[in-house]
Amino acid sequence: MQESTFVRGLARIYAVMLYAYPREFRLEYGGEMTQVFRDRCGYLARTSGVARAFQFAMFSGMDWFKTTLNERFAAARTSISHARKPAARGFVAEWAMTILMYLFATTTLVQAYVVPTGSMEGTIRVGDHVLVDRLAYSDPGAFGRHLLPYRDIRRGDIVVFHYPENTKQDFVKRVIGLPGDRIHLAGKQVYRNGRRLIEPYTQHIAPEVEPYRDDFPVKPEVFTTPRGEDMFHHHVFNGEVVVPPGTLFVMGDNRDNSADSRYWGFVPRDYVVGKPLFIYWSYDAPTEDLTEWSLSHVVDVTEHFFTKTRWNRIFQVPRYQAAQEAEAEQ
Amino acid sequence: MPKPPAEIDPPPLTPPVFHILVALSEGERHGYAIMQDVASQTNDSLQLGPGTLYGCLKRMLAAGLVEESDERPDPELDDSRRRYYRMTTRGQHAVRAEAERLANAVTAAKTRRLLDAKAGGMA
Repeated sequence: MQESTFVRGLARIYAVMLYAYPREFRLEYGGEMTQVFRDRCGYLARTSGVARAFQFAMFSGMDWFKTTLNERFAAARTSISHARKPAARGFVAEWAMTILMYLFATTTLVQAYVVPTGSMEGTIRVGDHVLVDRLAYSDPGAFGRHLLPYRDIRRGDIVVFHYPENTKQDFVKRVIGLPGDRIHLAGKQVYRNGRRLIEPYTQHIAPEVEPYRDDFPVKPEVFTTPRGEDMFHHHVFNGEVVVPPGTLFVMGDNRDNSADSRYWGFVPRDYVVGKPLFIYWSYDAPTEDLTEWSLSHVVDVTEHFFTKTRWNRIFQVPRYQAAQEAEAEQ
Repeated sequence: MPKPPAEIDPPPLTPPVFHILVALSEGERHGYAIMQDVASQTNDSLQLGPGTLYGCLKRMLAAGLVEESDERPDPELDDSRRRYYRMTTRGQHAVRAEAERLANAVTAAKTRRLLDAKAGGMA
């Protein structure tokens, strides 16, 4: 049966991840935790579908991340307060195990990113360190499609992707147009397929209306990138951009200060890395410090870790909001 | 743990601990049953991950709010590896005190018209 293969696979990954817990905790509760995880996944898969079970698995992953740290610190506290002899396997080896598990998880399942620019300000801030789910939008292939609930990108999703002009850089933006969608802006207002979008997630910081940025697409004074120029010449019909097959039209939530598809064209579907899961650390620092490694930044972090860390943002989940479409007006 | 002097007024409980105790108020449960019960109690708004569930149970055992049970109240679903948990008297005091605290908070919110009289549910 497909479902049980799927649940068994998840439970096996979960059982391996349990090695990140302190040894005593894992020996005491590990077996039952795997059992509970498998039961709950199986139950959700049967009653609400595989997607719901997968969601629980991702949730358990976040829970794993938080509680491994909790249990590690708890174990460290008791061993200090009881002044015990060090356990057979030493302190360093135990922590090394946890870190190894984090590395496994962070290379195949998720990836950590820092957001250096303010184009999503209002939703994601400069200095937010986000964990990105790499499986969410990756095409699992013909075989995996039956195992994993592969969901394609929807309008309103926040995605992390390779910047088409320089694929070494990764950007995070919101998906506005899917292939075939017709997009235009009039006075900062986005219209999709002729319908005005009501977008509660955007913010505007500039009062004046600028051609191209706010009335789009019109011929700009100068094209910022060749891709933007190509879009304007080949994909504009009747004053609207038409999103070609296999690509996405994306924009930042901080509309007046966002270099996005308006300027550098469409994002190929294959360039999408994943979706932001949650913010694991948020630190108030300028853009330069977040893009370039510098000694002064390290010194700054060590000196101001507690005051400049934005504690209220930690473990926040970026909002996935679909824009509402107003009635066709024209 | 030695008996603290402030036994009359147990300290506030975290939401997971509170809901685990509520789940155990109707009898002994194993971990999975607790998880399911908490999800249905809260209309899925509080989901316990396995790590949170067993981390809480570990601390609750240490604090004497719950104890492990040898009995097997559910022979059909029985699995010899499963452990059942039971609420102690101390756990009963704690959960009652917390429920009263929450009820007071709800009353306070209602008198200030922050809550419809009907929508009593979640605090």
